[in-house]
Amino acid sequence: MQAVILERALNYLLETHQIDVSLLDGKVVHFSLQDLPIEVGFVCTNTRIFVTTDTSTIADVNIKLKASVFLALLQGEDLTKLLREDKIIIHGDVKTAQLLVDLLQQVDIDFEEELSKYTGDIVAHQVGKLAKKFKSSDNPLTSIKDKITTLLIRPKVQ
Amino acid sequence: MTQETTHFGFKEVATQDKQGMVRGVFDSVANKYDLMNDVLSFGAHRLWKHYTIATSNVKAGDKVLDIAGGTGDLARAFAMKVGDSGQVVLSDINAAMLNEGRKNLINKGVSGVEFVQLSGEQIPFADNSFDCVSIAFGLRNVTDKDQCIREMYRVLKPGGCLLILEFSKTDIALLEKFYEFYSFNIMPQLGKIIADDEDSYQYLAESIRKHPNQETLKQMVLDAGFGLCEYHNLSGGIVALHKGIKI
Ligand SMILES: C[S@@+](CC[C@H](N)C(=O)[O-])C[C@H]1O[C@@H](n2cnc3c(N)ncnc32)[C@H](O)[C@@H]1O
Repeated sequence: MQAVILERALNYLLETHQIDVSLLDGKVVHFSLQDLPIEVGFVCTNTRIFVTTDTSTIADVNIKLKASVFLALLQGEDLTKLLREDKIIIHGDVKTAQLLVDLLQQVDIDFEEELSKYTGDIVAHQVGKLAKKFKSSDNPLTSIKDKITTLLIRPKVQ
Repeated sequence: MTQETTHFGFKEVATQDKQGMVRGVFDSVANKYDLMNDVLSFGAHRLWKHYTIATSNVKAGDKVLDIAGGTGDLARAFAMKVGDSGQVVLSDINAAMLNEGRKNLINKGVSGVEFVQLSGEQIPFADNSFDCVSIAFGLRNVTDKDQCIREMYRVLKPGGCLLILEFSKTDIALLEKFYEFYSFNIMPQLGKIIADDEDSYQYLAESIRKHPNQETLKQMVLDAGFGLCEYHNLSGGIVALHKGIKI
């Protein structure tokens, strides 16, 4: 159900703000949370985005992160910093990841509320608080695409 | 030579006869169809259809084909979404149902919808024509379902979306029991009282039972070539919406 809400919000945004998603066309992005059983796939095609919980398709990029980091990211957290701190793991086509993150940051959804459906209110609230802490301690998102790209094409070997 | 057979409800019939028998059912229920839908589903079919439209991602300017569209509920809602720059085709194999659809849409002031009599097994449109193809409560009546899904795949544009709304299997034991009793005892009786047609509603109940479950249908969609398919259970799985993406 959460995927449906996200999908509707994203497509509403694309339609009402006439956002060009042609750069994302044909791309599949998987997001998975490390601490909650949530995995979603974003399939960008035919100028719209499908959000799916079926992540068996091969993705162009896989993004792994904790729920609190996810919330922080959506609230405009500096991606470079999260990457540097190893709070987010990205495998695959980084440009695609960045384009999708840009888009997600524009969606007006109460993700805390959505997460609470998985975790119960208290945990979600704490995750949300954590996310805000991340946010308040940082500069607003700047144009960091190039920096991230450089950072990510040299992934850390575990 | 042995004759190929298929099921018509619980009966085994010659494959080539099924289409005519299904036509008989819908010829007979056409003028009471909407009323019966409301009564038999307690109005829930409106919610299921609403959900289908809401999750379709159809937008202004899109081209949409509704297969087995009957009295036109989905076509009407799609027409509002695609606007003047888009196109909606309401299709059905049955002229009587299509006629009800046409009357319905005219009465409701919907314009711009095209009506085409066609079988989902042989869709007379070019490859890669539509942004969305839907079939609601129709697939279980189609003789060769795999062929129908392949045809829907063919006429969809790359990236296009398939929507199959159909009765399915609930895994809630108590609901299953109630539903079993309701569909085999109450539904045909209501069909008899309201539409004076017990047999057609007996067929409808049986055809629901014969329809593939969620996972089987998902696999059929993937086998037809769709790169992605997922289903959403509605009303505890009594109905499922399968969404396939042509990638
Ligand atoms: C239960 S009605 C559904 C009508 C409408 N889609 C709705 O949801 O209210 C099933 C429809 O499938 C149509 N149908 C049966 N076999 C078909 C086929 N092979 N191709 C296209 N339509 C078919 C019938 O004529 C009937 O109108």
